[in-house]
Amino acid sequence: MTETSLYRWTRDLHLYLGLFISPFLLVFSASVFFLNHAKVATDRPTSVVTFQNLFIPAGIDTAQGPAAIPIAQAIQYQTGMTGEIGFTRFVKATRHFVFPVSRPGLEASVDLDVDGRTALVSSRKTGMLEAFGYLHKMPGPHNANIRGNWVGIRAWKWFADATIYLTLFISVSGIYLWYTLRAERAIGKVLLTAGAVSLFWIIYAVNR
Amino acid sequence: MPSTASATFEKWNRKLHYYLGLYFLFFLWLFLLTGLLLNHGGWRIAQAASHRTETGYERAMAPPRGKTDLARARDAVRQLDLQGEIEWPAVPPPRGHFVFSVARPKDASQVDIDLATKMATVQHWENGGLTVFRIFHTFSGSRYNAPGQRDWALTTIWVVAMDALAAGLILMVLGGYYMWYRLERTHTLGFLALAAGFASCAMFFASVWR
Repeated sequence: MTETSLYRWTRDLHLYLGLFISPFLLVFSASVFFLNHAKVATDRPTSVVTFQNLFIPAGIDTAQGPAAIPIAQAIQYQTGMTGEIGFTRFVKATRHFVFPVSRPGLEASVDLDVDGRTALVSSRKTGMLEAFGYLHKMPGPHNANIRGNWVGIRAWKWFADATIYLTLFISVSGIYLWYTLRAERAIGKVLLTAGAVSLFWIIYAVNR
Repeated sequence: MPSTASATFEKWNRKLHYYLGLYFLFFLWLFLLTGLLLNHGGWRIAQAASHRTETGYERAMAPPRGKTDLARARDAVRQLDLQGEIEWPAVPPPRGHFVFSVARPKDASQVDIDLATKMATVQHWENGGLTVFRIFHTFSGSRYNAPGQRDWALTTIWVVAMDALAAGLILMVLGGYYMWYRLERTHTLGFLALAAGFASCAMFFASVWR
């Protein structure tokens, strides 16, 4: 590949891949302000509904981790909800099976009385920015062995990864494109150094 | 817009696009790479990024002084030679105890001061190098779904840096749209790429939103 065609390919890929991924970058960037500065009262549900005569799957009192997810989903579907199950917990003392369910626009908790076959579902509708914030944090590092138990989060993981890989490509190709501009090399190097120094100074100051 | 003003805007918009990109390059890479670690908890490297060592000790100390809990916690942090963002326990501590946590990417401590015996019991976690790296992604000192505000100056500086990166990316995207729009030869393919991006994003939201 000649230098000219390498330049053209890099420039075009930088442009078109950048345009494609830009809506996702805007979602991630806008949600940073929400995650850093917003305060939401999450303890006030917008609806509390009781479901009775539920079918209780076998093994509900012993299943843990990934094995407990299908059991929680069997309960979840009887309540008509869809979404990602955060974790599951069986409380031996009260024989209650408890799990949270979330998706963009909804946050709910299910408290199932196993012996009474009754579930109390408390849910809260969330706004658009909170939904962006939720997606920004998903799938996240916690409970990795059960994460992605809802198709929406499995799909989002692909989009989040695509955003990362394409942004990495765009940043590397951007360096190449900048370096071809001889007149901008000096100031570019100063800015690159200033950025690196700022970042490493903050990391040093926070950890010293 | 007069042609000279338009040319000036175009020139500075282009410069801003790569100046912002160059200044924030290392910040962006930090967030992209830690984002991968956070999204793939099952990866071996991501598991290594959860490594931390726990120690514990007790130390005699003067009762923490101050008009507020935060001031008392700061006094205790100073006496115990700790640093970081102060966080409060989710459940109230037992009577006669003053309990809080202090955290930063490098380490975290849970402090339980028995006010009667003037003894502090400290559980301390030292994070491994990759863990420190990963924690920077989420180190904001404030959770939208929990009460409390950030109280350590360095957390505020880091949050300003995160906000600046997010604002810088938004400016680069918007400036990029303008630069693409001015390149007439790329309109058709560019429009298709942009429409595909917005359609993917909108279809995803439409299918998961409730």
